[in-house]
Amino acid sequence: MAEEQLVTFRLGAEEFGMDIMRVQEIIRIPPITRVPKAPPHVEGVTNLRGNVIPIVNLRVRFGLAAAEETDLSRIIVLQVEQKVFGIRVDAVTEVLRLEAAAIEPPPPVAMGLDAQFVRGVGKVGERLLILLDLDQVVAGETKYEFSA
Amino acid sequence: MDGDDRKNPSVDVAEFLEFYLLDSREQIDRLGTGLLELEKEGQDVNLVNDLFRSAHSLKGASGTMGFLPIVALTHAAEDVLDRLRRGTMEVTPAVVDVLLEVTDRIRMMLTQVEQGQEIREEYEDLVGVMKGWSSGGSPTVRTEEGAEEAREGNFVPRDFFLEAGDRDKIKEAENKGYGIYQIDVTLVRDTLMKAVRAVVVMQRLEGIGTVLKVLPGIEEMETARDSRFWLLAVSAEPPEAIREEILGVSEVAEVALHSYPTLSVLSGEADFSQERGTESYDTYNNTPNSAPNVGVSRENVPIHTIRVDTARMDNLINMVGEMVITRTRLVQTGTDLKGHYPQEPMVSSLIETNVYLGRLMNDLQESVMRLRMVPIGTVFGRFPRLVRDLARKTKKEIELVLQGEDTELDKTVVEAIGDPLMHLIRNAVDHGLESPAERRAAGKRATGTVSLDAYHQGNHIAIVVADDGCGLPLEKIRLKAVAEGWAGTREALSEREIAQFIFRPGFSTADTVTDISGRGVGMDVVKKALNSLGGTIDIDTRDGQGTTFTIRLPLTLAIIQALLVEVGPEVYAIPLSSVLETLLVARRDMKTVGGRAMVQLRGNALPLIFLEEEFDIPKPEKPPEEVFVVVVGLGDKALGLVVDGLRGQQEIVIKSLGEVLGNLPGIAGATILGDGKVTLILDIGSLLQDVVVRR
Repeated sequence: MAEEQLVTFRLGAEEFGMDIMRVQEIIRIPPITRVPKAPPHVEGVTNLRGNVIPIVNLRVRFGLAAAEETDLSRIIVLQVEQKVFGIRVDAVTEVLRLEAAAIEPPPPVAMGLDAQFVRGVGKVGERLLILLDLDQVVAGETKYEFSA
Repeated sequence: MDGDDRKNPSVDVAEFLEFYLLDSREQIDRLGTGLLELEKEGQDVNLVNDLFRSAHSLKGASGTMGFLPIVALTHAAEDVLDRLRRGTMEVTPAVVDVLLEVTDRIRMMLTQVEQGQEIREEYEDLVGVMKGWSSGGSPTVRTEEGAEEAREGNFVPRDFFLEAGDRDKIKEAENKGYGIYQIDVTLVRDTLMKAVRAVVVMQRLEGIGTVLKVLPGIEEMETARDSRFWLLAVSAEPPEAIREEILGVSEVAEVALHSYPTLSVLSGEADFSQERGTESYDTYNNTPNSAPNVGVSRENVPIHTIRVDTARMDNLINMVGEMVITRTRLVQTGTDLKGHYPQEPMVSSLIETNVYLGRLMNDLQESVMRLRMVPIGTVFGRFPRLVRDLARKTKKEIELVLQGEDTELDKTVVEAIGDPLMHLIRNAVDHGLESPAERRAAGKRATGTVSLDAYHQGNHIAIVVADDGCGLPLEKIRLKAVAEGWAGTREALSEREIAQFIFRPGFSTADTVTDISGRGVGMDVVKKALNSLGGTIDIDTRDGQGTTFTIRLPLTLAIIQALLVEVGPEVYAIPLSSVLETLLVARRDMKTVGGRAMVQLRGNALPLIFLEEEFDIPKPEKPPEEVFVVVVGLGDKALGLVVDGLRGQQEIVIKSLGEVLGNLPGIAGATILGDGKVTLILDIGSLLQDVVVRR
């Protein structure tokens, strides 16, 4: 039976999950340099061992209210289609396996979130995990190029 | 058998493949440039000999690797070159055309080889054409229109690559007493959709006979420069009727019918195939010998250069970059230690060592950067062919003058500069230069000139693309700018300001979209590409005398000296090569002119950009009485950047912001400072360009 391994994280009251294969590493919040004229959800750039990578603020991306940085705040470094970037989350909760059968298609209105980012909803006991469509989350970034 | 050798797994082809590709591309380049020269010089035995050698070694190498289509093409080309060498054939534009086409095809084949694909590129048509010349007995001098060959005296039966079925049909037709014709059809030059005409011709023929074969293939016809094709058809109608029928198709310029010598060709066809058989056999047998032969003659030549994979070199450069960053941190630590222990001799020794290390690093860095420098001639090299083809297409007479090919600049710049330059040249030919008739009427030489020049200018390199054509249609551009709302109707604009409008996205005054420059790629893309390299582009245009584009680019992109400036809580890096001076300016000395802040600098008004406004940086509660102004400039444009503080200069390694954040206005890239924090590098080129356009 097909199963997925997910990294789950918290953003406000919701819990999210993403494919572990896309996760390169999880780091504490480093110094972030703001980038003028970047799209609003790009918080800035940071130095990841000599490479400059952009940091996406998922709260801004999903239209949630801003939150204070806490001890639990983390950056999840992802690699999607050769592009490396980090996303800021309120807390990383766990790594778990999920049967494909436990994944349901996204409800029409996905918990106040833009439905385009949601790939499905996973059930883990009583908990509901919002599974992110990373390609969609990044798609906004890649579109931010001048069309020649 | 040698044929089996190829499949022998113990022979690692991949190992040689890289070398083969490099070498073959070099030979192809040599052939390409040589052919253009040949066309200019005419019959030059030495030149033809060189070309022959290139073709020969290409054939040998390709045979060893087992790439038969390339062998077939080079073999046929070699035959043609041999005839040129012996003087039994003349150099005509048509011959050069076909040989150039050969180089194009082989280049594409090499790409397919490189990508690990089967060679799909067609080649039989070209081989057929070339064999046609070689087996024609008499030197086949083809004129442009091909009229001469069409005359009965020079008729050359073509190899239509007949299959058994076709031969049966020919025999059958012969028995019935039908005529078997080779029909040479010449289309009006520059006919669009040649393949469609060919299909129409074939349909008409189907009404009065049977079309057996057509050369070249329908797909190639579309891309072929030649506007001719050949049909093999059988029909009971008299030749004149067939001719009339075909001439009825629009855009058909000429039709020539020849009785196809069926018997000789049918037997000749057997010869063809036999010859092909021996040829491939021959190739396998010969090449293992001939390849080492070439090697032997080279053995005596001392090696002055080695090929290095660019990835390895880039890796080296990256490491040097990291070392530069690390050294900066060491220096920082030394300075900090000195603050804590001013009397400690070990600290002084550390600082001394750092200075020496710095000197070594500078040398190392310079040497490494020099590895990356390549002459710009490698880019210029592809333009003679481009201009030649464009001249043909537009029916203009053009002379391309290249200068400063030896000027060296960074590999990355060289790679990125090709497309913008090509675009400028296309524009110059298509929009700039007039037709010979127009030029004569204007009292100019019928041949237009496009010149390309490169030279060093301080820390920059300047590339100048100039034409002596009609100049930019400034009035038309102004009207367009007004129509687009970029400028007011009555606004007084200098010629230069008007010319700048062509860099706006969406700009085009072309009345007709040609397939040369009207592909929807505008000058804005050229500008953007150059800005992203940290460069600028300038226009100087004179009505009736021509247009000059001057491109200025930094010499290198990887490691630069930068001035670090503070703006509010943020730090930015400005490439030192564009910094002219720094000033301390009192706020009251700033004036606002036309919505832009200015400051008087030695009698000239210097436009100012407040970085905090430009970059939305929170302003301090109480603005300081005096601010720092960093005067930056490229070429003859200057601009003052207003900042809060200067942090001094240091070496920085330029890092890309990556795809996600590339192309942000005003930002050229990022760098990592000694404390590990990321700092953004200002894109002076785009800031300057913005101010000039906005003014």
